[in-house]
Amino acid sequence: MIRTIQTGLILLMLFIVGAGCINPAPVSSSPAVTVPVEDYRSWTLTVNGTARQVYSLAELRALPATTGHGFAVSTVGIKYGPYICRGVLLTDLLERAGGISQGDQVWISAPDGYLWVFDYDQVQGNGFITFNESLKEIPPPPLRILLAYEFDGSPLTYNDGAPLRVAIISDEKNVVTEGSAWVKWVDSIEVHRKTQ
Amino acid sequence: MRGNLYPVVIAIIIGIFVISSGCTDRPVEKVPVKVVAAGSLLVPLADAEARYEALHPEIDIQVEGHGSIQAIRQVTEINRPFDVVAVADESLIPDLMYCPVQNGEGNYTDWYTTFARNEMVIAYTANSRYHDEITRDNWYHVLSRPDVRVGFSNPMLDAAGYRALLVTMLAGEEYQDWTIFSRVIGDYFDPPLVVENEDDIQTVRLPQVLKPLGNKIAVRDGSVFLMSLLEAGGIDYAFEYRSVAEAQGVPYIILPDTINLGTDQFNQEYHRARVILGFPRFSVIGSERTGMPILYAATIPSTAVRVEEAREFLEFFLSEVQKGGRGWPEPLDTPHEFPWNINTMAAGG
Repeated sequence: MIRTIQTGLILLMLFIVGAGCINPAPVSSSPAVTVPVEDYRSWTLTVNGTARQVYSLAELRALPATTGHGFAVSTVGIKYGPYICRGVLLTDLLERAGGISQGDQVWISAPDGYLWVFDYDQVQGNGFITFNESLKEIPPPPLRILLAYEFDGSPLTYNDGAPLRVAIISDEKNVVTEGSAWVKWVDSIEVHRKTQ
Repeated sequence: MRGNLYPVVIAIIIGIFVISSGCTDRPVEKVPVKVVAAGSLLVPLADAEARYEALHPEIDIQVEGHGSIQAIRQVTEINRPFDVVAVADESLIPDLMYCPVQNGEGNYTDWYTTFARNEMVIAYTANSRYHDEITRDNWYHVLSRPDVRVGFSNPMLDAAGYRALLVTMLAGEEYQDWTIFSRVIGDYFDPPLVVENEDDIQTVRLPQVLKPLGNKIAVRDGSVFLMSLLEAGGIDYAFEYRSVAEAQGVPYIILPDTINLGTDQFNQEYHRARVILGFPRFSVIGSERTGMPILYAATIPSTAVRVEEAREFLEFFLSEVQKGGRGWPEPLDTPHEFPWNINTMAAGG
């Protein structure tokens, strides 16, 4: 009897170990993106206007927040979204730094070396190309530029541009905008005056 | 009785073990090979991916498209582990990848191979205004008519965009008409784009924000949007790569070799036009784009995860390019050289 139980247990062990063959470990364990372990306590956003202001993420989150629908498309037609974006309006940040006037430009950049320039009209939400979900061009509804720190109620992931990225938002769902302006990992906003 | 059951119990347990373990018919996990490529290579790469995966079911080719500079930046600045890089401008690989790996050893790469060429054409449709009268000799007259809408990609984002400007500048020399650029493109921006001519080099400097004036010119982020706009009738003509027009199945005007950026023979002529972009979108590369032949190139970064699989796929892809296909760039005549097939590292194709 004991011998039978022992043999049965050994076979059961073999079964359990061998059953691992059903779900072998993936061949590739490399992540799609190298995601550094981030601690955003040392991260800051610098806004250089008439005044120079530096925000921590906590300070940015303490400012009045805006929420809107955002949906981007890459230069080769890959769609990202739709998202419910939450963050601070670019116009609000600029206002706190002295505001901008017709003819001024806003340069938004990130530590990965990416830079995008918005003119005054764009800062007001004008002059963007918009598409429907099928990427057919549609007349643009009212748009706003957001410095977003949340997508769909969660903090941005690194791949999404954490901790802060540009999002072009609308009150309407499924309005797609060109992704080139959606700067990821934003840490600098500069106002370039017309006379510069 | 008990003695008779013992071998039966063992046999049942062994049977369950063998069946449930799945070891007799173990499912094959696919090995991902990640490719980052220029947008104009997505059609041929999709075709090659399907054929390769049919031959190698254990491999999963994963292709991601970007502008050429952005494609390289995925590896060098965003640190994504791509196994193959393929771009639409051969000069970008030595410019952006012959540099030390961040927090690593060696350069991102020390070699590349060129494998195909392309050329700029004027794409249109059966609904384009004056399509029944446009030719390679009068295209600039047709495009300069006020009621004709013309499109090109954003030069800040897409090489085809600044190449459209280069072609239009070179047309001035070709047709001995120095008003072509302003009549077709330059006058329809705010502020106007003006060609400066110094030391026999034509230069146009773009403003930071490229703003078309009225509806004459349409600028879009990439070919996919431009071709969509063309087919929807939003524009009448688009400056595009020949392979993109062919992939889309639209007719196009072939431009003279002296201006189409399509052949090595006229490299010196192409060099006589340049575009200075409005701002350095990427800090790693300057804002000056000089005319040169459109040559495609590929490499395997030193940071690749699947080196052997990447080599095999790259060799397969380039052999497929040699066969050609609809919407594929034209293959080069020169044989491909790979550093793993020759004793010395190849710098260039």
